Amino acid sequence: MLEILIDLLALAVGAGFIGAISGLGGGVFIVPALVIFAHMPMKVAVGASLISVVATSAGASVAFVRDGWTNLKVAMVLECATVTGAVIGAYLAGVVPTVVLELLFAAMMLQSAYFTVTKRGDDILTKGDPLAERLELAGEVPDLSGNLIHYEVVNVPQGGALMVVAGLMSGLLGIGSGALKVMAMDYIMHLPLKVSSATSNFMIGVTAGAGALVFLARGDVATTIAAPVAIGVTAGALAGSRVLPHLKVESLRIVFVIILLLIAAEMGWRALSGI
Amino acid sequence: MPKREEDRILREWTPIILRSILIVAMVVLGAGLVLTYTFAPDYYVERYQAAQHGHLIGKEPVGLLFDRVRQGNPHAVLTIGLFVLTLVPLARVAFCFMLFVRERDYTYVILTAYVLAGLIVGALAGSAG
Repeated sequence: MLEILIDLLALAVGAGFIGAISGLGGGVFIVPALVIFAHMPMKVAVGASLISVVATSAGASVAFVRDGWTNLKVAMVLECATVTGAVIGAYLAGVVPTVVLELLFAAMMLQSAYFTVTKRGDDILTKGDPLAERLELAGEVPDLSGNLIHYEVVNVPQGGALMVVAGLMSGLLGIGSGALKVMAMDYIMHLPLKVSSATSNFMIGVTAGAGALVFLARGDVATTIAAPVAIGVTAGALAGSRVLPHLKVESLRIVFVIILLLIAAEMGWRALSGI
Repeated sequence: MPKREEDRILREWTPIILRSILIVAMVVLGAGLVLTYTFAPDYYVERYQAAQHGHLIGKEPVGLLFDRVRQGNPHAVLTIGLFVLTLVPLARVAFCFMLFVRERDYTYVILTAYVLAGLIVGALAGSAG
């Protein structure tokens, strides 16, 4: 038993750490790792993954919110869009062929990777659009030398539209869609990348929490796997939340691109192998 | 109350709520694993291998779960720990909703109420399905 526990804890600590600094949760690593290395069926891996996303989100958000990296109001506005997408997605499940969605998602991840590679640094805006100003979405973040930088937010409807798609993908495919959330905030709404990552981390807990409750209520979570994964992921996320403020934006972009390519490969693999 | 004060309360209290529930969940999960390791290590390996074949315990009435926790059943303790963990984000949205109601910030009352309603409807529809 001890050997299994140590393996699961080690896997989960790594997933939580990278999930926290990238804003993607830990599910993107937990699912393939459990399927490939622990020989778990997809259903068991997805249940543990949902739990791990909740744990990453909660663990990392403690420090991110306290230190001002999470934009709480942006999260609350965009959560309306993701919840809408997730509910629609849950009802559409079975109507749209999963293989089409998985391939579409893989293509979107590749496009996101391209956008991320071609973008340099952060676009800090000094003037927000009227809707963002009415919703008071602007914020302040410290730079690497500790000086506070004020940023404004734009393109809320467009960002919201992409969040509906992210929610739709969550509802249909049972994934966190953190990558789409980060892209929407970073590329479309022009939030600083670290704020996008921290805010995505905060948001993914809500949709994953609702999904995890359903899985738990149905008895579809293997507690023997999910419990050590939850503990390990929380520890990893707490460590990740300490590291993110000290990372250079360019380093974070490289981590993000690698993860996007991994997600694209995973989704492509899921679609083509019919898992 | 000025918006800055509302933001300060959000920023101070949200981490406290997250951390408090997270600590409870981790303590319960940790206790569950220690109980399992001490009293039922073979059962753990058996359930792990069953999960590899897709065999899960299935739906259990919540009342029965609490009865089994009182009897010190490690599996029930782990399940309760996971339930507590999943409540973290929902508790956070509920807290924001109550704060905005208190502050009469109606835009955000509507937004958080919408999120809460969506989550509850989604969870009920999902668990019934």
